[in-house]
Amino acid sequence: MYELFKNLGSWLISGDQWSGSDGIAHRIAEHLEYSLFATLIAAAIALPLGLLIGHTGKGAFLAINLSSFGRALPTVGLVVLVFLISGLSLWSVYVALVVLAVPAIVTNTYAGMSAVDPEVKDAARGQGMRGHQVLFQVEIPLALPLIMTGLRLSLIQVVSTATIAAYVSFGGLGRYVFDGLAQRDLVQVLGGAALVAIVAVVLDLALAGLQRYLFRHRRTAAH
Amino acid sequence: MNRRTLLGGLFAAASVPALAACGSGITSLDGSGSGNGGGSGSSAGGVTIGTANFTENQILGYLYAGVLEAAGVKTKVRPNLGSREIVVPALKGGDIDLLPEYQGSLLLYLDEKATDTEAGAMQNTLTTVLPGGLEVLPYAAAEDRDSFAVTKETADKYGLTSLADLRKANGKLILGAAAEMKKRVVGVVGLKDRYGVEFKEFKSLDSSGPLVKGALKKGDIDVANVFTTDVDVADNGWVVLTDPLNLIPSQHIVPLIASRKADAKVRKALATLGNVLTSEELTKLNRLVDKDKKDPDEVADAWLKGKKLA
Amino acid sequence: MTIDWSWIGDHTDDLTTLTFSHLQAALSAVFFGLLISLPLAVVAHRVRPLRGFLLGLSNVLFTIPSIAIFVLLLPVSGLTRTTTVIGLTIYSLVVLLRNTVEGLDSVPAKTKEAAKAMGTRPLRTLLTVELPLALPVIMAGVRIATVMSISLVSVATYIGDGGLGQLFTDGFQRNFPTPVIAGVVLTLLLALVADALLVAIQYVLTPWTRRRA
Repeated sequence: MYELFKNLGSWLISGDQWSGSDGIAHRIAEHLEYSLFATLIAAAIALPLGLLIGHTGKGAFLAINLSSFGRALPTVGLVVLVFLISGLSLWSVYVALVVLAVPAIVTNTYAGMSAVDPEVKDAARGQGMRGHQVLFQVEIPLALPLIMTGLRLSLIQVVSTATIAAYVSFGGLGRYVFDGLAQRDLVQVLGGAALVAIVAVVLDLALAGLQRYLFRHRRTAAH
Repeated sequence: MNRRTLLGGLFAAASVPALAACGSGITSLDGSGSGNGGGSGSSAGGVTIGTANFTENQILGYLYAGVLEAAGVKTKVRPNLGSREIVVPALKGGDIDLLPEYQGSLLLYLDEKATDTEAGAMQNTLTTVLPGGLEVLPYAAAEDRDSFAVTKETADKYGLTSLADLRKANGKLILGAAAEMKKRVVGVVGLKDRYGVEFKEFKSLDSSGPLVKGALKKGDIDVANVFTTDVDVADNGWVVLTDPLNLIPSQHIVPLIASRKADAKVRKALATLGNVLTSEELTKLNRLVDKDKKDPDEVADAWLKGKKLA
Repeated sequence: MTIDWSWIGDHTDDLTTLTFSHLQAALSAVFFGLLISLPLAVVAHRVRPLRGFLLGLSNVLFTIPSIAIFVLLLPVSGLTRTTTVIGLTIYSLVVLLRNTVEGLDSVPAKTKEAAKAMGTRPLRTLLTVELPLALPVIMAGVRIATVMSISLVSVATYIGDGGLGQLFTDGFQRNFPTPVIAGVVLTLLLALVADALLVAIQYVLTPWTRRRA
């Protein structure tokens, strides 16, 4: 075990390991590309859906149970299935990652919206706000913490799962995990896993920072 | 139902399979250190056959199981375990007892510097380099070599007929193969050392599976590592590059077994199978599984019955 | 893409075997996860400095890809069901620990003080007051851990196990969608049924939450 971690150290800091198309820098860039793009698409689908359900109150059952469904879906199966349909393209990766990310965003967005005090909404309407004004100026700002929680949860899951891209011939940090498995090179596997964890934690901290920034903005606006 | 019994029931239901799971893990680790004696083992406790992660190897695993069962040996097949780098250690560790292997690749896995390319000589060398407790049984008539194939267009464009010709396109072509080939002699290492070939890029794909063949068809790679028994090579009119320097050794199929399981019954059954199984027959079986989507176990069973081996 | 229904008809035995093998792996992981997380959660709940460490560590563990965990376990437990169960246990542990700590936190301080005032010993308070009151939140964790484990079992197909996940690699290698679809549908059904059963169990175990509602 000690040997493994010592070798991991030299693997991580060796210059050769960082350059070239199989280098760490390139693999991290690929991994970020898959994860961020997938999460963005997922947010583009899930945020409006969650807001709509939260605003109208219709489809609440769907919103509550969607995240459970998302957890149940086996990603390996989904990737293979889309691969068999679409052939060798990044579609198989993106479809699987988006499907994985959507439920948590929808559920949390809905949860945030439904937690907004009805009296606050009534008061806003009483002041003459229209439906969309209530949504954008009252409900969304109040629901924002939970919306951000959903986005962060999804992003972490997507970063961790984007490893699967390597199974269907693509890159990303999963390359080290799958190649290390095939070559029984545990240092490579451990290195890949550690890098995935680091990328996930760094992205999560970045989103947490963004969240704090958004809040500070709101607090000053309120004063 | 009262609350306590329901809770108890839940835990009992969860714990029984869990404990059973642990048990199998522990028992599978013992008995790994028996000597390298001929016929001293016993298959009485049953034989677990492991197979690598490509369809032909699974067919072979089920063929082994079929002849062993016919000889009165209990068997269990564990399909799709992984690459040689994963399954051979599992055999050493005792998780499995028997593997369908390929002479040349196995030899180079055990000894990178091995130079034998002829089947008989390789068999001899194998017995000396195998770790204690493991042995190879007589090899089969059937052979499935690794080969490197290009599309007709690529062959014409660069004038490729042999592996040596690849040097003409050094730095221009992308090689696609299973990830383990990047570090194997029959792969990137040998192509560079023996033929002086350098690729623009190596793409980790699979062992003559959907990734490597799909990528060659699509043009994502230029050179593909495929098996000589793969029906898609002929079906697509791909050009298999010749190997004038004998980089790729003879690849007869050979049973790799833990000595403690290799009794007379097992040896005889596998030897009989080896005599009947030819490369042509194996290619046919591959077609049934890969193209006609028949199950490897059913295909193996039907073939054995047809040959009166089961 | 068409589904080959005759393949499904011919393989009901195989599908049943794989489904049970799948369920066994997932349930074992949740069982061991509970066994380990309960004492850890009590420690994390009582000893504040450890709490941040344990929860932080489990959050980081959660970001490690499951396939890597399975591969890294190979030198320890080989190509066995044990490897699958240990790997899955780590993930279920993360979810269970978080929820159990939250559940224990949710027990009102007044209730605990009342128990103390009545002379109840700490261990007894834990077993008869705190844990039962934390049960709804703990059960929510058990549900998440169970559904997640059922979904994750299939990743173990890369180390030759994986229950229904074997259908995925099989279909992949042969360019054959039917087994893959069967595997996905059965996994979803298994998760759905397990989740429904856990809801029923929770209903029976926590009558007081019903009365309040």
